[in-house]
Amino acid sequence: MKAPRTTLRRKLVRAIMLTSTVALVLTGAVLVSHDFYTFRRSLVHALVTRATMLGANSTAALAFQNSDDATQVLSALRADPSMVGAALYDERGRLFATYPADAPPGAFPRAPEQTGERFEGARLVVFRAVSEDGRRVGTLYLQSDLRALEERIRVNAAVVVFAMLASIGVAFVLSTWLQRSIAQPVLTLTDAARRVRDDRDYTVRVAEAGDDEVGFLSTTFNDMVAEIQGRETALRTAAARLRSTLDSALDGIVTMDHEGNVAEFNPAAEKMFHRTREEAVGAKLADLIIPAALRESHRSGLAHYLETGKAEVLDRRLELTAVRRDGSEFPVEVAITRVTQEGPPLFTGFIRDITERLRAEREIRQLNEDLERRVVARTAELEASNRELEAFSYSVSHDLRAPLRAIDGFSKALLDDCSERLDDDGKRHLDRVRSATRQMAQLIDDMLKLAHLSRTEMTPQRVDLSALGRDIAASLQQAQPDRAVRFEIAPGLVTEGDPHLLRIAFDNLLRNAWKFTSRRPSAHIEVGADPSNGERVYFVRDDGAGFDMAHAQLLFTPFQRLHRQSEFEGTGIGLATVQRIIQRHGGRLWAKGAVDHGATFYFTLSEGGSS
Amino acid sequence: MSEKTILLAEDNPDDEELTLRALRKYNITNQIDVVRDGQEALDYLFCRGAYASRSPKDVPQVVLLDINLPKVNGLEVLKRVRTDERTRTVPVVILTSSAEDRDLLAAYNNYANSYVCKPVDFDQFAEAVRNLGLYWLLLNQPAPRPQPAGR
Repeated sequence: MKAPRTTLRRKLVRAIMLTSTVALVLTGAVLVSHDFYTFRRSLVHALVTRATMLGANSTAALAFQNSDDATQVLSALRADPSMVGAALYDERGRLFATYPADAPPGAFPRAPEQTGERFEGARLVVFRAVSEDGRRVGTLYLQSDLRALEERIRVNAAVVVFAMLASIGVAFVLSTWLQRSIAQPVLTLTDAARRVRDDRDYTVRVAEAGDDEVGFLSTTFNDMVAEIQGRETALRTAAARLRSTLDSALDGIVTMDHEGNVAEFNPAAEKMFHRTREEAVGAKLADLIIPAALRESHRSGLAHYLETGKAEVLDRRLELTAVRRDGSEFPVEVAITRVTQEGPPLFTGFIRDITERLRAEREIRQLNEDLERRVVARTAELEASNRELEAFSYSVSHDLRAPLRAIDGFSKALLDDCSERLDDDGKRHLDRVRSATRQMAQLIDDMLKLAHLSRTEMTPQRVDLSALGRDIAASLQQAQPDRAVRFEIAPGLVTEGDPHLLRIAFDNLLRNAWKFTSRRPSAHIEVGADPSNGERVYFVRDDGAGFDMAHAQLLFTPFQRLHRQSEFEGTGIGLATVQRIIQRHGGRLWAKGAVDHGATFYFTLSEGGSS
Repeated sequence: MSEKTILLAEDNPDDEELTLRALRKYNITNQIDVVRDGQEALDYLFCRGAYASRSPKDVPQVVLLDINLPKVNGLEVLKRVRTDERTRTVPVVILTSSAEDRDLLAAYNNYANSYVCKPVDFDQFAEAVRNLGLYWLLLNQPAPRPQPAGR
């Protein structure tokens, strides 16, 4: 639609001009006609007055029947060119004198009429009775042309026409100027509207144009364009966001209309199906990416949905087969959703090539199976070696003791039966044999206990180590009441663990401390716990013989001892036992010490223990 | 009631001699029959094979049974003794080197009357044997003699 650039202006000017012209013409006509009638009346009046005066002047001539005098009186009319003719009639109605004197008698009415006046064509005619002392002596007839009236009208009309033309000119100038104040804002508005429409330029604003309707229109226009601009921006942003989502999505995103035609085909889909967006959009989706075998069910599924609104494939994760341009098929995971909008439905599918995933899953499954097989094999191996170990310790338990018993028993028999044949040296040697035998028996027992520890099942529960410590300390003091040992056991050392195993561990640690302080006149044994790096570190500290830190790593090796048997008795199994128990509780065990300055054993226990 | 005998099932000659020595040391003079494997122990108890001539009436006052026995092991011997009418009530004391839980359990599950671990130390061993003798020979009242079938 073309903008009505000039019509409004023209219409405005035309309206103003028409209005003012009509008004002027009417006014002019009224003025002229009013003047015409006024002037005519005054003409009549003047002629009547003149007739009256002439009549008065003619009485003498009439009285004396002197027509020359009368003609003389009438000739005075010569001064007025508009006077066409005059006639004086006598008492009996005979023509007495005329003006002009030589005028033919046919130019006048034959008989006088009653006093009065009338227009006869372009002439004004007046009859006047001439009276003398109340007696009618004659009648005067005056005839005047309307030259003055015509002149008057001509002049007046000219003035009116001139004034009208001048007024119309002024009105035109004024209207041209006035239309500007009305039409200009409207035209500006029109211009702006055209720019919005043609150029889609929503930054256009018009200047405020006062507080009239046009002003209101401008303001409203600005508001509307601003609103549109806002929406346009939002729309653009949304579109850009959608575009970038589509472009950067790792999944193929394909939109299909209700006829099965592709409406959108993002770059990931291009890559996946080896098809360009240009060739895809508008094509039938089924022919594009669905394998021939599945096309029919796709078509019928779509038809079914359009008919019933029911679809099994919507809003679910589906694993399907798709086909590339070259006809090769591959597995995909698809989620199809209906786009919420008015009108016929659109469907968007999010498609992921799961070739790799399926391969990885297969691989993982295979690895798991392998692993399981290996675990089964290892478990079997482990069980076998456990069985062997068990058989070994069983055999040790049964068979290793018997020869020792024989050695000890027969040494004793020798001492009993042949004592008189043995000298003191011999007896002492036999005592050494027996002592060594007993020690070996102890070693075997300890070793079996250690092996036993690793096999027994753990039943974790709440254990009060403080109470346990006090209990063991009491039994130690009871066994050797003459020793001066001060126990300092922190209260509230509660943990989770196997009570039986923890008792063995604690017993070993306290017994150890008790043993290695035995050469002091008085000793101090301390049990407590310190928080360190978020875990609780328990300790058992003594001020006994201590040890050289250089040998610290040997402390927990089974049967490894840092002291001579003659100094402190023992098989070297105690701390190995403690370590095994702490390990089974998921904790660590370590020691600090110095020769003759005591030793401290530290350990941690993990929450609930572990095997 | 004939003299109270003790049946000692022990394959180790050293242990056998030490046991006998310990019993003698404490003046236990009862007859002590020794068998050296499980089969022989069963033959003795059921009066068959080499012991066919033995009278089934002579039920030992107590059987001291080692676990590690050749041919038929001690626990198997115990099981068979307990499943047979004739020997079900014979007191059986397991006398062994093993203190393994599973041996203890197996012994008691098969109704052993007692389980004694042989100490290595002869003094302790002798003490244990003495106590056994005192208890089973003097204190304990055995079940009434069974009436063997066919007699």
